[in-house]
Amino acid sequence: MRSLAADSFRICTIGGALLVTFLLVAAIAALFLVPDISDVRANLLSAEMRYSLKLSLVTGILSTLLVMVFAMPIGFALSRFDFPFKGLVKTILDLPIAFPELVLGLCLLLLFGSTFVGSLFKALGLQFVFTKQGIVVAQFFTALPYASRILKSTFDYIDPKLEFVSRSLGYSIWETFRNVSLPLAKNGILAATVISFARCIGTFGTVLILAGGTYMKTEVLPMTLYLNISYGNMGMALTSGIVLTVVSFVAIYFFERAEVGL
Amino acid sequence: MSFLEVSDLHVRLAEFQLAGVSLSLDRSDYLTIIGPTGAGKTIFIEALVGFWEPDQGRVRLDGRDITHELPERRHIGIVYQDYALMPHMTVFRNIAYGLKKHKGPDLEDNVRQMAASLHIDHLLHRKPATLSGGEQQRVALARALIAEPRLLLMDEPFSALDRQTRREARVLLKNAVRERGTTVVHITHDLDDAWAFADKLAVFKGGRMLQFGSLHDVLARPRSQFIADFVGACLIRGTVVSTAKDDTRIDIGGVQLASLDAAAPGDEVDVAIRHEVITLQKERPVSANGFNVVPAVLGHVMPEGPAFLVDMHVNGAGLQALVSHDTLQRLPSREGDPMYALIPRQHVKIVAAQHPSQQPVQEKTRAHTK
Repeated sequence: MRSLAADSFRICTIGGALLVTFLLVAAIAALFLVPDISDVRANLLSAEMRYSLKLSLVTGILSTLLVMVFAMPIGFALSRFDFPFKGLVKTILDLPIAFPELVLGLCLLLLFGSTFVGSLFKALGLQFVFTKQGIVVAQFFTALPYASRILKSTFDYIDPKLEFVSRSLGYSIWETFRNVSLPLAKNGILAATVISFARCIGTFGTVLILAGGTYMKTEVLPMTLYLNISYGNMGMALTSGIVLTVVSFVAIYFFERAEVGL
Repeated sequence: MSFLEVSDLHVRLAEFQLAGVSLSLDRSDYLTIIGPTGAGKTIFIEALVGFWEPDQGRVRLDGRDITHELPERRHIGIVYQDYALMPHMTVFRNIAYGLKKHKGPDLEDNVRQMAASLHIDHLLHRKPATLSGGEQQRVALARALIAEPRLLLMDEPFSALDRQTRREARVLLKNAVRERGTTVVHITHDLDDAWAFADKLAVFKGGRMLQFGSLHDVLARPRSQFIADFVGACLIRGTVVSTAKDDTRIDIGGVQLASLDAAAPGDEVDVAIRHEVITLQKERPVSANGFNVVPAVLGHVMPEGPAFLVDMHVNGAGLQALVSHDTLQRLPSREGDPMYALIPRQHVKIVAAQHPSQQPVQEKTRAHTK
């Protein structure tokens, strides 16, 4: 039999969850209900939206690939190996999660603008300040900590004894990673990829400071929303908001499905 | 030269240290390692297979120094307590995974043959999560054996099995390793595993190896009270009062025990007697007939499996005997009642002898006197 206190606690916690859920649903519903559907269709087909959507998808996919290439070894190293200053490295890698995006953008602008690192990349033909490449770099640093955290947790869940046994059976550490760790991390890798893509597509502040918010040049979806709000063009702003929301929904849907199997 | 030689092995892992382990095994030897949790048994075998880099010491296998060799080059198999089967592979693929070097047209035949020998050929299409503990254990064993390891390491492979399955698994394992002449190191908490398989026995505690020797030597002559308790023996201290050929008399608090082992008069000795060799009875026997007949006082009685461990006092020294239910029925029923312990002379083993003028030979050895 449940006590009265337990019942009131249950009601309070569930009530809180339902209240916030309702507010979120109402806010998202407003985004879909306010604009006229024919306007949305026209806006989706406009040159600016097509440019923005294409640029967002291309940079988002590139950044996500780059994030995964780095997050995989980072997650594995943090999960499996001890090395000097591991705690500090982990804290620094996680910093962008807590950092305001604008500050992160400013730091990247300084690093790639006027320092030795910027000059080095420039010499290699990579210019990140106020360019499309800058969008990828901004998205990369914003999304990386989310992916590396998810992958670290994923590898933490995989019993290291499986890798030990594989090596005792004659497989090198690389072969073991390919045959054992990677297949078992499949769900975590999918979750990290989806979340990274959603973060990349949605990154605004970092992109604005490093790559700039130039119309039809470095204009990704969040920038379309921002620029059109500034011009007072609510139709375009709402349409880009709808596209970003759909991407987030799909990402969260896949993330939840993948997480079940973690 | 021994097949496996471990010399002064030290491995430090965070707060734990495995210190100074040395032992050697001949080809086809079966070593059982016993010891409490946290003794360093698992770290020891993981150091043998190459998962931990030793801080000091050497490991030689089949004449080759493998101390710093990569695990994949050592050809040492390992079977874990939870079997560590690859959850994303079927039983067939798990077993075939052990055949890295022999992936050829006869791979399927080899896997099926190995599976048949361990009675798991009907499970080849299944995933490990759908198997019972006993089936998983056999799959893990098949995967390790199919690779034909030079040395097979097993970390409590039977601990998750019920009594009946464990018995069947013991028979299968024994046949499998004996047929192939595999050299085995087997960690267990269960002394029955040692009785079933071992040629040699090692006792670990607190990161150290306390004793290593042939199974019967360690069981009959435990070097410390801890080992005696662990292997089911009594260890008592006494003084040698007289010696003759095959007849050494040892005084234990006023009671004399005869032993076939040699020692010098005046020596302080630790005497080991296994629990199961002591017979108890209510009345003094008419004839000693090769037995030490010792008056004793009944202490606590504790069930131990299907038998009973009877505590008794012999002039202040503590002894334990393992007796059947029928024997217990014939003994006095109250604590403090007198009775007689019959101890065969050949089972009174002198473990450590020390002349009064000498320094202690075995610092950890303590008499179990009350």
